[in-house]
Amino acid sequence: MEIVAQTVASGVLLGLILALSAAGLTLIWGVMDIVNFAHGDFLMLGMYASFFAWAVLGLDPLLALPGVVAALGLFGVVVYLGVIRPVLRGSVLAQIFATFGLGILLRGVAQFVFTADYRQIGDTMATGSFAVGPVHLGLPQTIAALGALIVSGLLFALLDRTTVGTALRATAEDRRAAELMGIDTRRMFALAWAVGAGCVGAAAGLLAIYFPIFPDVGAVFGLLAFVTVALGGFGSVGGAMLAGVLIGVVTSVAGLIFDPAYKFTVAYLLYLVVLVIRPQGLLGRA
Amino acid sequence: MSVVPRPGLPVIALVAAALVYPLAFGSPAAINVGVLILLFAALGTAWNLLGGYAGQISFGHAVFFGIGAYTSTVLLKEAGLSPWLGMLAGAALAALAAVLLGVPTFRLAGHYFAIATIVIGEIAHTVVRNLDAIGGARGLFLPILPTSLVNYQFHNSRLPYYGIAFGLYALALAATLMVERRRIGYYLRAIREDPTASRSVGVSVLQYKLAAAALSAALTAICGTFYAQYVLFIDSDSVFPLSLSILIALTAILGGAGRAYGPLLGAGVLVPLSEITRIAFGGTGRGADLVIYGALIVLISVAQPGGIAALGDALRRRLPQPA
Amino acid sequence: MRAWLAHLAAVVVIAAACVQPGASPAGEGQPTAAAGVFPKEVAIGAVYPLTGALAPTGVDLKNGIDLAVELINSGRSDFDLPLLKDGGGLRNLGGAKLKVIFADSAGDPAKGQSETERLITSDKVAVMTGAFQSAVTATASQAAERLQVPFVNAESSSPTLVARDFKWFFRSTPDDSMFAENFFQFLDDAAKRFPGQVAKKVVILHTDDLFGSDVNKFVRQFAEKYTYEVVGSVGYKLTAPDLTSEIQRLKASAAPILIEASYLADATLAIRTLKQQDVNFQGVLAMDAGFVDTKFIPNVGKDAEYMLTREVWAKDLGTRKPIVKQVNDLFRSKYGTDMNGSSARAFTGIFVIADAINRARSIDPVKIQEALKQTNIPAPQIVMPWDGIQFDARGQNTKGRGIMVQIQGGEYVTVWPLELASKPLIWPMPEWTKR
Repeated sequence: MEIVAQTVASGVLLGLILALSAAGLTLIWGVMDIVNFAHGDFLMLGMYASFFAWAVLGLDPLLALPGVVAALGLFGVVVYLGVIRPVLRGSVLAQIFATFGLGILLRGVAQFVFTADYRQIGDTMATGSFAVGPVHLGLPQTIAALGALIVSGLLFALLDRTTVGTALRATAEDRRAAELMGIDTRRMFALAWAVGAGCVGAAAGLLAIYFPIFPDVGAVFGLLAFVTVALGGFGSVGGAMLAGVLIGVVTSVAGLIFDPAYKFTVAYLLYLVVLVIRPQGLLGRA
Repeated sequence: MSVVPRPGLPVIALVAAALVYPLAFGSPAAINVGVLILLFAALGTAWNLLGGYAGQISFGHAVFFGIGAYTSTVLLKEAGLSPWLGMLAGAALAALAAVLLGVPTFRLAGHYFAIATIVIGEIAHTVVRNLDAIGGARGLFLPILPTSLVNYQFHNSRLPYYGIAFGLYALALAATLMVERRRIGYYLRAIREDPTASRSVGVSVLQYKLAAAALSAALTAICGTFYAQYVLFIDSDSVFPLSLSILIALTAILGGAGRAYGPLLGAGVLVPLSEITRIAFGGTGRGADLVIYGALIVLISVAQPGGIAALGDALRRRLPQPA
Repeated sequence: MRAWLAHLAAVVVIAAACVQPGASPAGEGQPTAAAGVFPKEVAIGAVYPLTGALAPTGVDLKNGIDLAVELINSGRSDFDLPLLKDGGGLRNLGGAKLKVIFADSAGDPAKGQSETERLITSDKVAVMTGAFQSAVTATASQAAERLQVPFVNAESSSPTLVARDFKWFFRSTPDDSMFAENFFQFLDDAAKRFPGQVAKKVVILHTDDLFGSDVNKFVRQFAEKYTYEVVGSVGYKLTAPDLTSEIQRLKASAAPILIEASYLADATLAIRTLKQQDVNFQGVLAMDAGFVDTKFIPNVGKDAEYMLTREVWAKDLGTRKPIVKQVNDLFRSKYGTDMNGSSARAFTGIFVIADAINRARSIDPVKIQEALKQTNIPAPQIVMPWDGIQFDARGQNTKGRGIMVQIQGGEYVTVWPLELASKPLIWPMPEWTKR
């Protein structure tokens, strides 16, 4: 029984981080219908940023977090201006192509500049573990999960309570109508990229506390992020959160019940089943 | 309207170029590049039937490639069945899989469908890697048989592979041209442009999409068998990976999806690009080739989102028109 | 229509032009058939994963090779290794120097094969070596077999590679089946030293790829032979970001000994999870790979203490064999890290090749193949803990073996076989909470 409790707990922790990274992705997707196929590689960049803040500047990753978020947010705007905006007038296929190429480019640059060596942040403020009854929770993972919750909360607040947030949501819902209402949709797009990338940066900075960092690390989380977004419903940040936790728990528990080599397969199958029954995802717009 | 396309100028030019190439550049490296270009052109063309013409963007086509490779190989190893017959079996299986998968997924909207295809591909990738009955993680070694067409293996020169690869491309191209000119082609384009309108005039959207999917899958599977016979070793990581699915789609998209010759243009650029950058820079171990490859893809997509074919159109518009 | 023709022709021309660099023959060093005229350089082809997930190992391997080539070409007589007292280069070929041409497999079997073909047919290499991953070595050596060029493999461990009845394939390293047997020989010896403290039940944690599934298969095979019980096998997908369910399964198995086959990232994750969730074993026996990566101890830190791993080489072999220390010191001064099993084996592989070419007195592949079959390098002349290098009819070196090292004080310490041990084994592993 404690084994199940442990497994579920770990699944929730992982799921929250997944949720945060997916939140960034779904925001961009919802506002401008662009799938950022380089999403995983944005995460990778954020992790490297966090690593070097620690290795070179001696900053604990938690302290470096705001910096990483800002850096990634800025990077998101640069990508929007340099790559996305020109490609908006092309077909959906060309847009996919552009972000996909960007992903390869980022990975190549990372390998070129940082080499393919695995980096790991050593002991930080968040090292160790603690027990809640029979369940052991790693401190890094717990802090990362808490961080994810906090940042997601901030994201909610931004979208729900601020004028800017409302404008973003309006653009996501109906671009034409938003334009007619006087919202500068192009600025909304840039903002979506800034905030979306910033969320990824937060997830990255939190992950970097305990996860190894290498040029291909984006591949690990990239697909899971897409599945999380699709499961939650494109454009729905709440959906992304819910789906993230769900995927985290399902994969963890599946590893106990079935051969662990298939634990992601179970999550993928779940996604397919949900999609057939409810194509817009859990909380997506119909 | 005729069913078989009359050989027009592009087709003749194509055949001529394909013949000239190995004569002009006979080194095994060049032949290998030629084989890869034709193979990816064939794969991209097959993908195009579903993606470009029917409008269903699939990032899971490696599933069909893998089905083709594994079916013919397993039948060869277990039952001694000729790879040519195994190829047909693989094509049939892939077509069946496409229909079975298509029925529940085709009603999903664009992005959801794309992600679903990725997910299905990953499931196949993992499952096959863990299925020890067909080799599992160790993969399958094809028995090395004497060079002959019947055996579908050629050891001394790679030229026959080049010829077969050209045949595969020609087959896929012929299928595309036929689809373009027959009723199904018009219906598919109508469905792609406006499914609701099409449905309202009585076109069975699902039926035609499934037909396109089945054809696309069968052609892709045939290429899978070719790969198995070319490399003589297959495992889940080499025939089912996501990276392959994406590369196939990219070949068509780069060249110009929805156009018959698009994938050939795409393959003609992507394959040599990837080979040169890897040969020239790969040896340093620093990934310089990935940087160039990625940067070029981004630049091309930003500069001309319509793909190379659109570039061709833009250029053509600048040329003086025939009087 | 005209425009289409132009476009098509342009594509073909561009494609062909792009291929030209690969199609041109190598420059100097072109082997000639002229009798009595030795080439200035002997080209050796090396295909390794220089990009992709295994690139760090590719770099290790390349460094090992580069060092060997440098030593041979400069004739460092202060090193007691084959050929080095001949004044530089291969004496029987008029002092010809070695030149290694590297190619990137990117970890893909198809690329490994095409690069091998290119190296053989365009660059005219006399011998091929490579490719670390067994799946890539399989296809690369297949190409060499077809083109009848010797392929010397120094670091791939899948037993299937020598089961193919190839005539041109030679492997200096022992394989996973020999290594799996080493585990149980070690456990038996440990049971003698620590009677009653070595359980007979093991559980296996392994990646679901070729390496992991091979290890699983052979450990089970030899467990039966040595009367140990395998309580369970837990296979996991390589890119899993969380291993809780897997570790919990290990815990549920209640087996006191863990045998693990993992790469660097997952090994790091697994150990951290073991510690966080307080899952303890008498001993963790790893099948090298991630556990011997140069980043393993730096990344895992103190938690790596007491872990045991099968190795093929260890720095402290230098206490019993001075040549090991000498070579490692040089390696360290050039590349900034110690050697490891990968670089040491690749280093040794070059010596095997050079020694054979020298004895063949020619770059004719058939003569080199003959010379390889006659290879007999004695133990004192290699930096490996083997009894020597001699190939059997299948092309496998029969005198190789693995060693067990334990991480003590942040260093890899040889603890088995006892005659090569530099320090005693610590068993059982202290529990996490008691460290």
